[in-house]
Amino acid sequence: MSDKASDPPVDAESRRRTRWRGVVGLTLSRWWRRATRTTRGRIASTVAAVALTIALLVVVTGIALALADGGMATADDADVRITPEESGTLSSVDGVEGPRLGATNERAAAIRSRDGVEHASPVLVETARLESTDGDPRTVRLIGLVPDGESRTVAGLPTTALEPGDPHYANGSYEGPRNRELVLSPTAAERLDATAGDELSVSMGGMERAGGTTPSVTVAAVADEGTGGGGAPIALVHLSELQSFSGAETGELADRLLLWGEADAARSAATDVYPAGAVEVAGDTDPSTLFEDGLAFATSVIALLVGVTVCASFVATTMGMTVDEDRRTLAVLESVGFPTRSRLAVVAVSTGITTLVGSIVGIGLGMAGIVAVNAVAGATVAPGTVAHFHPVFVPYAIGVALVAGLVAVPYPLAVAARTAVLEEVAR
Amino acid sequence: MSKQSVRGSRSSARDRADERESATAVRLEGVTHEYGSTGGRFRSGDERTVTALRDVSLDVPTGSIVGLEGPSGSGKSTVLHAVAGLLVPTAGSVELQGTDIAALSDAERTRLRRRHVGIVFQRFHLLPSLSARANVALPLVQSGVPRAARRDRATTLLEAVGLDDRTTHLPSELSGGERQRVAIARALSTDPDVIVADEPTGELDTATGRDVLELLTDVGRERAVLVASHDEATLAVADRVVTLCDGRVDDVR
Repeated sequence: MSDKASDPPVDAESRRRTRWRGVVGLTLSRWWRRATRTTRGRIASTVAAVALTIALLVVVTGIALALADGGMATADDADVRITPEESGTLSSVDGVEGPRLGATNERAAAIRSRDGVEHASPVLVETARLESTDGDPRTVRLIGLVPDGESRTVAGLPTTALEPGDPHYANGSYEGPRNRELVLSPTAAERLDATAGDELSVSMGGMERAGGTTPSVTVAAVADEGTGGGGAPIALVHLSELQSFSGAETGELADRLLLWGEADAARSAATDVYPAGAVEVAGDTDPSTLFEDGLAFATSVIALLVGVTVCASFVATTMGMTVDEDRRTLAVLESVGFPTRSRLAVVAVSTGITTLVGSIVGIGLGMAGIVAVNAVAGATVAPGTVAHFHPVFVPYAIGVALVAGLVAVPYPLAVAARTAVLEEVAR
Repeated sequence: MSKQSVRGSRSSARDRADERESATAVRLEGVTHEYGSTGGRFRSGDERTVTALRDVSLDVPTGSIVGLEGPSGSGKSTVLHAVAGLLVPTAGSVELQGTDIAALSDAERTRLRRRHVGIVFQRFHLLPSLSARANVALPLVQSGVPRAARRDRATTLLEAVGLDDRTTHLPSELSGGERQRVAIARALSTDPDVIVADEPTGELDTATGRDVLELLTDVGRERAVLVASHDEATLAVADRVVTLCDGRVDDVR
């Protein structure tokens, strides 16, 4: 059997490549027409099924990542955080008993002098009992820091109401004048029944060091509702005064050190000053932390398994149904000379495109879902972010969808392979 | 019909046309076919079979149109499917351009069909999500023809069948006659030696059917055309009409 005169005078390999390009191009063009004109509903439902599954995967993985990353650690607006290496990132509320950084006041001052660093402040968290003149003592978490007059947020509370600087530190002598002021979270203010200008007495371990009498502080401001704090009774105070109250002035201890400024400069300064500390750049969530946190890892693995299973089931079922309704097209392809492998390629590429488009839509939905979850959580039960998005989610989600597509594709292929051309074209 | 002659689309094969003018493009020799007899290993031995063709022999020379007539179930479509290599008869031989299709593998039969046979169905069987031009170019995709050449060829063929203003339309945007003309253009796209047409005017009104027959007649001047129909007007364009009854050749006129 000789080739027809109409066949192009090209070698077999070139023709084979042209043929496969043609088959893929034909499938893409047909898929697009079907998605936009002829069978919009069916394609849209398959894409939506894949998209919802992938969106769920992205949201759950985002929550797992936030779990691994400490969640509430982002309740401040610092660009870089330094924490003791052994403890990883600490929560602003429950990290009080962990290892601490030393010589923080001195080193923070050194960091502040670096180019590109706007401000650096150690943060010390201690528990104290505050008592208003006409109320009962209430337990409050005091957050000690060095404010600088700029608008910054620490532990979800604005620092601007505190007097800038930390005069009591006085170059390490802890003998400078005390500001004796604090900023209360809405919850703390409510429990203490205190408002701005009220006097509160403070009692805690180590206060005797400060002179044996119960020190009093003035409420400089009560943070607005919705500014954060997560509904926890917390208050901001000047660092050195809290260190003096708690005994942490020996060694100038703090739980972490926050840096504001250019991320690279701040990171460099942090690494130089605390080479053994854990340096975390805001917005630079490390997905590898998922592998270090048991609960987060389990959550993300379950999300992965559920995602692949559900996505593959959806794709297999809907594409199988689509191919079943599309048997006549496959029969026509056979009648015009498409061999089995080309017909199966048409089905496989169609399934792959549907899955790919579904995964891309799903990533978009997942990002929106993460924003929504954070918004809902922020408005109800949790401060800050409870779910993170990371760019690596994009290839991850597409990879998961394609794996699901691979798992699913044998079914539509089997349906396609069973198509009997004579039964279809004779109808 | 205001269209070019479709013969003009066959430029490269024109030189060969004279040589094969009197050659036999299709030869059926003692063809018998039973449906249900090639069902595979899980079928029981006493399963009933239906004999569609019994010892059918006929030739279709290049440059002629042979009509197949007969009542429903007489075996007309089975003859067409055997010629197109869509089925392998239980007994006898079907030669297409001198090649016995029974001796070929499935893949080889598919290749033979792509290169030598164009099929026109009663129900058109265009792909609904492809434009008229893409439908016509469909067989060329598997032939490995580059995209630009496919588009040119399909556009030329659509012009030849009078549809140059319908190239980007979807089948759903075309009338029945236009769809059938697209189907004929598709059947011609690989410049086949043989055209098989199963009730090509069955879904069309009289006037549209006449246009389609004119087109088929034009096509048949250089190719072997085998057309199955109940319709007298369709059969009237044939050079020879073979009457089938109960799977046998009953009459040839």
